[in-house]
Amino acid sequence: MTEVLEPGTEIDEQRPSQSLSTAAARNLATTTKSVPQMQGITSRWLLRQLPWVQASGGTYRVNRRLSYVVGDGRLTFTNVGDNVAVVPGELRELPLLRTFEGDDADSTLVAVAERFTQREYSAGEVIVEFGHQADGLYLVAHGKVSKTGVGKYGEATTLGVLAGGDYFGDSEIVAGGGIWEFTAKAVTRCTVLSLSEQSFAELVERSEALRAHVEAQRSSAAPARNDHGEAAIDVASGHSGEPEIPSTFADYELAPREYELSVAQTVLRVHTRVADLYNEPMDQLEQQLRLTIEALRERQEHELVNNHDFGLLHNADMSMRAPTRGGPPTPDEFDELLAMVWKDPGFFLAHPRAIAAFGRECTKSGVYPTSVDVGGHKIPAWRDIPIFPCNKIPVSENYASSVLLVRAGEHNQGVVGLHQTGIPDEYQPGLSVRFMGINEKAVISYLVSAYYSAAVLVPDALAVLEDVEVGRED
Amino acid sequence: MTELLEPTPASAAGQQTPHSLSTGAARQLATTTKTVPHTREITPRWLLRGLPWVDVGAGTYRVNRRLTYTVGDGRLTCVTTAGRVRVIPAQLRELAPLRDLPTDEPLDSLADAFEQREYAAGQTIAAAGTPAGQLFLIAHGKVDAIGATQHGAASLVATLAEGDHFGAAQLVYGGEWPHSFRAVTPCVTLALTRQAFEQQLSASARLRAHVDTLQDPSAAPTQPVNKYGEAAVDLASGHRGEPPIPATFVDYECAPREYELAVAQTVLRVHTRVADLYNEPMDQTEQQLRLTIEALRERQEHELVNNPDFGLLHNVDLGQRLQTRTGPPTPEDLDALLARRRKTKFFLAHPRAIAAVRTQCTRRRLYPHGVEVDGTPMTAWRGVPMLPCDKIPISDNGTTTILAMRAGEDNNGVIGLRQTGIADEYQPGLSVRFLGIDGNAISSYLVSAYFSAAVLVASALGALENVELGRTT
Repeated sequence: MTEVLEPGTEIDEQRPSQSLSTAAARNLATTTKSVPQMQGITSRWLLRQLPWVQASGGTYRVNRRLSYVVGDGRLTFTNVGDNVAVVPGELRELPLLRTFEGDDADSTLVAVAERFTQREYSAGEVIVEFGHQADGLYLVAHGKVSKTGVGKYGEATTLGVLAGGDYFGDSEIVAGGGIWEFTAKAVTRCTVLSLSEQSFAELVERSEALRAHVEAQRSSAAPARNDHGEAAIDVASGHSGEPEIPSTFADYELAPREYELSVAQTVLRVHTRVADLYNEPMDQLEQQLRLTIEALRERQEHELVNNHDFGLLHNADMSMRAPTRGGPPTPDEFDELLAMVWKDPGFFLAHPRAIAAFGRECTKSGVYPTSVDVGGHKIPAWRDIPIFPCNKIPVSENYASSVLLVRAGEHNQGVVGLHQTGIPDEYQPGLSVRFMGINEKAVISYLVSAYYSAAVLVPDALAVLEDVEVGRED
Repeated sequence: MTELLEPTPASAAGQQTPHSLSTGAARQLATTTKTVPHTREITPRWLLRGLPWVDVGAGTYRVNRRLTYTVGDGRLTCVTTAGRVRVIPAQLRELAPLRDLPTDEPLDSLADAFEQREYAAGQTIAAAGTPAGQLFLIAHGKVDAIGATQHGAASLVATLAEGDHFGAAQLVYGGEWPHSFRAVTPCVTLALTRQAFEQQLSASARLRAHVDTLQDPSAAPTQPVNKYGEAAVDLASGHRGEPPIPATFVDYECAPREYELAVAQTVLRVHTRVADLYNEPMDQTEQQLRLTIEALRERQEHELVNNPDFGLLHNVDLGQRLQTRTGPPTPEDLDALLARRRKTKFFLAHPRAIAAVRTQCTRRRLYPHGVEVDGTPMTAWRGVPMLPCDKIPISDNGTTTILAMRAGEDNNGVIGLRQTGIADEYQPGLSVRFLGIDGNAISSYLVSAYFSAAVLVASALGALENVELGRTT
């Protein structure tokens, strides 16, 4: 056993040192130095996994077949204190009122919005019950509502979960005199605005324009379209003999969406004296540039997720968003996402804490999902679809996050990243470093720019599981 | 971290005049990168990929089988009018004893002789060992037939559903109930009591004559059959000495089933002006054709599943149709489905049905291993992949069907039929023919796809029916 000799204080003071101290020796030696480290660097799986498509000319136009939109957006509410009101213009998100235009349309909508009555439901309370007279239009302002129907043999079946901004009863109120085909029950505490059939009838009575609009809705025939709302391509099949064969063409959207490349830029400044002299063993300029680029790439991934224009969280179709049933992300909900993006799903993207919450739920259900190998990394997976961590997905103040499921690639009509290679002074694909000059204070400036965007080619390529609680203790 | 510079409203309002060309203006000079037109309709079409395609020479494919003496009991259809359920009289011929009835005349009054009985879930309809004397038709609901094992424990023999019946043989020949029958769900049944049946027999001389021949064992010609109902091939085995060895031959069906290729067609119209001029960078006609062909292929898959003539859902042999035990698709149900055939190549299910299977696996703390099909990970059960297909219908009350099949001509399985080498062929089995240009300068192309599907042996294709989705329990 060796003894550790603690440096005794009295020894140092009393005796002069007999050999060169390390402190003095360091004056001759060269220190080994690390390159500057940075905590902000993440694995950036989204940037690595998205296939990048060249967008020459700075704009990428996604052509699609002509769709007749059913108009099923979400409504927005305003609240003053405890009083919740629907924003009148938002009522156009209801299929019933989508095309409602006219001189006094806006004032009519204000009148409609005023007729809604607010009610609070506690968790477990039934809002409408199966088989009862359908009595109005209900908007969920806050909370979660489950819809259950009756199965073939009389047992309850889940039809879905409605969250804030969703609504039900819109088709019943147009048809009139029907019964509820489902039971709506509050899962959490809910604030619901309702418009009774009576009030609606009064409103229709009062406004000529509204009456004409509702009448038109009742009688109008929808144009021929396929299950996805696209203008149908007529095909005859299974016929024998000589029937007339339908003529057809595939119609396109007349104003397709165009994605412009977005930019993340910064000006990097280095003093000439630093750049000229302090370059052994590391190039100062190169290290400055490296860290700047890392920060830019982090920002790029952040924008790809969160940008209001092209960010994935904001570009998911309304029909491709599902709230969690209970709160924490359960295996069943991941399976539900997989049923939504069932055509060649590519990968999940979730906040590391959401992945941990999902892992907990898996353990609770008693299943142990196997991980998959992606480029030499062991990545957690569900049903062999990897779940990549991405800390750019926001976690709200009350610990709610989102989980994305993406089908990637241009050839299978998925989600693609857009960039443009071959730009002047290109340093990395889609990223340029341009020398701006030296000013009177001998500071050199470089303009570092990254150009990028992301496009969802077909709406069913991207699904979002919303309201994922990541910190539930139970 | 870098800061994002949001364009402030002040600068947008014009306080800061732009010093250089805006991107909006620059775009007027630049070429936009354009995608080909996309459509949501395209699916992976796993059925078309998974089926082996057999080339049909002259438009018809004949499936020759061994001669079969049908013993099969079909399903009966009942109609409900104002709460009263009645069986369609002609459908009574699906009952084995009435199959060869020479005349239709007694059936109408026989249909009226049934009385409607309703059972709650869990109620026993008939107990094993008690004298049987009634014929039950299930109009709605599910019934378990429960037998006993060697050691007296209960065993599930079968699950019967709408259209199934039991007690026909016992009604004609007498005897005891071989199994217990218990309602799994609320059931509506039609029952024909022995008393009512006797009344019918005395009312109709023809019916009595027919039933008398059935009850006389010497009158019924008995052909030797194997357990699948095929004419037996006589063999001797294990014998010693010099017994006479049976002479035999393998008899074939005299009228084998022939599958004609079905067609899906459309006429694609493109204005010559569009086709001539607007071709940079993409060929307009080609893109129109691509989307039309995709729509045609989707229809093709739809027909392969749903066509009443050759669609797989309608070609499942009645003996190969299983019912779910409880409602949702459980691992037990899938095992039962797999047990019915050798070499099951894949399951075919609606994506929501696959999600329901996964949910049930999770409930049982199972995490089935996936397999790769064409490089795509697929959920598998016992190593058999579950291919998604959104063409399998889901009923209004959320029930669907899961198919399981053996594929390939060599395996006596399910095959897809097509004909290659047709005139103006564009893809295998699909032709694009130029029809000409009309007076409005519109050029027309006839796009036709020829296809069909055949089940070579009945056991190649099985179905799990009444799969309930979205069950909360």
